[in-house]
Amino acid sequence: MLKLLRRSVQARAVATTVALSGVLIAALGGFLSFSIGNGLFEARLSQILAESEAAVIDVQNTFAASSVNDEVALQTLLNSVVPKLEATGVADTRRVALLRSPGQAGIQLLQSPISSGLDTQVIGQSFREEVRNSAGRVLYQSIQLSFAESGITRLSPGIVVGSPVEIPLAGKYELYLVFDLSSAQQTLDFVQQTLLIGGLVLIFIIGGVSYLVTSWLVRPVKIAAEVSEEIADGALEVRLLEKGEDVIAVLARSFNKMADSLQRQITKLASVSKMQQRFVSDVSHELRTPLTTIKLAGDLLFEARDTLDPTLRRSAELLHGQIVRFEVLLNDLLEISRYDAGAVRAELEIHDLNQVVGNAIASIDPLAKNRGSQVEVVAPGGEILAEFDARRIERLLRNLLANAIEHGEGKPIRVEVGENAHAVAVNVSDRGIGMTKAQLERVFDRFWRADPARKRTSGGTGLGLAISLEDTMLHGGTLDVWAAPDAGATFRLTLPKVQGSEITESPLALPNSEELGDKA
Amino acid sequence: MTPKILVIDDDNALREMVGIVLSSAGFTPAYCPDGDQALEKFKQFEPDLVLLDVMLPGKDGIAVCREIRNISGTPIIMLTAKTETTDVVLGLEAGADDYIVKPFEPSVLTARIKARLRPMTSLEDTVTVGPLTLDVVGHQVLKNGSPISLTPLEFNLLLTLAQKPKQVFTREMLLEKVWGYHYKADTRLVNVHVQRLRSKIEEDPDNPKIVTTVRGIGYRAG
Repeated sequence: MLKLLRRSVQARAVATTVALSGVLIAALGGFLSFSIGNGLFEARLSQILAESEAAVIDVQNTFAASSVNDEVALQTLLNSVVPKLEATGVADTRRVALLRSPGQAGIQLLQSPISSGLDTQVIGQSFREEVRNSAGRVLYQSIQLSFAESGITRLSPGIVVGSPVEIPLAGKYELYLVFDLSSAQQTLDFVQQTLLIGGLVLIFIIGGVSYLVTSWLVRPVKIAAEVSEEIADGALEVRLLEKGEDVIAVLARSFNKMADSLQRQITKLASVSKMQQRFVSDVSHELRTPLTTIKLAGDLLFEARDTLDPTLRRSAELLHGQIVRFEVLLNDLLEISRYDAGAVRAELEIHDLNQVVGNAIASIDPLAKNRGSQVEVVAPGGEILAEFDARRIERLLRNLLANAIEHGEGKPIRVEVGENAHAVAVNVSDRGIGMTKAQLERVFDRFWRADPARKRTSGGTGLGLAISLEDTMLHGGTLDVWAAPDAGATFRLTLPKVQGSEITESPLALPNSEELGDKA
Repeated sequence: MTPKILVIDDDNALREMVGIVLSSAGFTPAYCPDGDQALEKFKQFEPDLVLLDVMLPGKDGIAVCREIRNISGTPIIMLTAKTETTDVVLGLEAGADDYIVKPFEPSVLTARIKARLRPMTSLEDTVTVGPLTLDVVGHQVLKNGSPISLTPLEFNLLLTLAQKPKQVFTREMLLEKVWGYHYKADTRLVNVHVQRLRSKIEEDPDNPKIVTTVRGIGYRAG
């Protein structure tokens, strides 16, 4: 429930509306119930007082007009007062008591007549005192009546009205009329019940109405959210319906304007990217055709170099070597621009990493022999299977090996292969001149060389590590490097076993994590 | 009589240079500078092999390749500056037998041409596979008695598979035996040409009965 309130604006709005209107309806209901109750009581009270005054006068007159002089006749007259008053009232629930005031001289010989079912306890002593001192006025007091009805005690509000009455021969008496207000209470109960039911129904209706109104208001927002999702998923042409002049129409128009602008930008970017790819492709063709002619001519000259005089022969050799270098450079440039254009797609298949490492070492073998570097391999037995583009990963490893040999100063090169549950890794380490921290930071930069003064013996293009880094990122892997001056360098390639999975930990460690130049 | 090679390329220098390489390797070259004249030149020169540039003014190389394939099975080697998947596959699907990526070395060019011109040898004169009878000497294939026209490359591919029925050939093995590659090469060459071959010999090329695929390994016949 709380979750729903937190998640849904509509649920919040409905809940707030219902809560607020509930409080207001309760307050209104309370006020109505109170004033209706009050009104009922006042109306009944004034009626009761009028009746009582009439009754008192009637009783006074009865006694004044009588001419009884013996006790028996007086008792009979006294006894006749009660049923007479009981019958005179409008309400059928009037009870009467004619009580002799205490503290009078002489003993009471006459019986005080009291209606049946009236417990004189309900008439408090203090009220009786007030009545005695009222100097003939009619007084009233609200009381609680209790009736025993078939074993159940029923309580109901009542009013007792009292007045002193002077009875000839008998002295001071007090006449009490007790009125039962239960019929008025029943009316009030019914009104309150009606108010309660009405209030509940009203709250329910308000909840429903506010739900309808808010859903009508929230609907365009919901639709806008759905359309946003669709646009985010690539359906750039989806738009909201613009209808009317209200704030929702303004929202729709602004939203559509934003979507139009986004679509234009994206289309523009896409066309720029297409142009870039097209350009790369064109450059490729335009440069490669003359290069082919140069290469064919250079090779013919190179093959016939023995028939040329020494100057021309050396020229043919230099030409041949530089054409090879030019070609490698051109290939690297095209590769990196393909990456820049986002035109690279990995050809992913399951391969044995051990085998790819073996192929890379075999292909670099002539260079290693030439430089006197031994390549040591530490690899777990069996197949190390992972999903990758074998051509790119072999090229990457070849590049790492060539770098290690070039900077390894003839010392042994160590290649380590490892795997864990989610990833595979290859470490390529040399124990050569290494790199400083500043050099380490630039190692993946394009056309950057660790030592510009060094001879470019292996004919590297300066793009090798930049491409290696791109290849690694293409696979969702990491390429880390550790290096220290005169201690050598270690490059670690880590690839996920299954494309798209996250690498949490590389299966292999680097020599010293403090000197880590983390990339990709 | 030296083999005749038609060089279709718009780049004058490259055309001439390729000509020099071909002549010195013992071939007779002829030239065509654009795609529109290519078919006419082909009919007139009747070459043993065509070297075809992909990017040409007028009709492009893919269209020229398709035109030549329509009238002849003469080996076609595409010269391409592109290694992008779609370009290579388009060329192969248009009927090219092989392709060479620019820039290439003279030795590679002559080796690829020689591999395409070398006739395939067989111990038997005729080989049968399913409903097909291969006449090795006459370079002809009969299906239920009626001849089917295959290019020399398709014939070689089928013959290689048919000579050892039931044996599974990997794509690498076929690249070596049929195309003459001794190192790793593009396995798409095999895939595309097996498809072309199936479309000519199978009743239902999508559901082949003669040349079948062995998943994860390669192909076999019979």
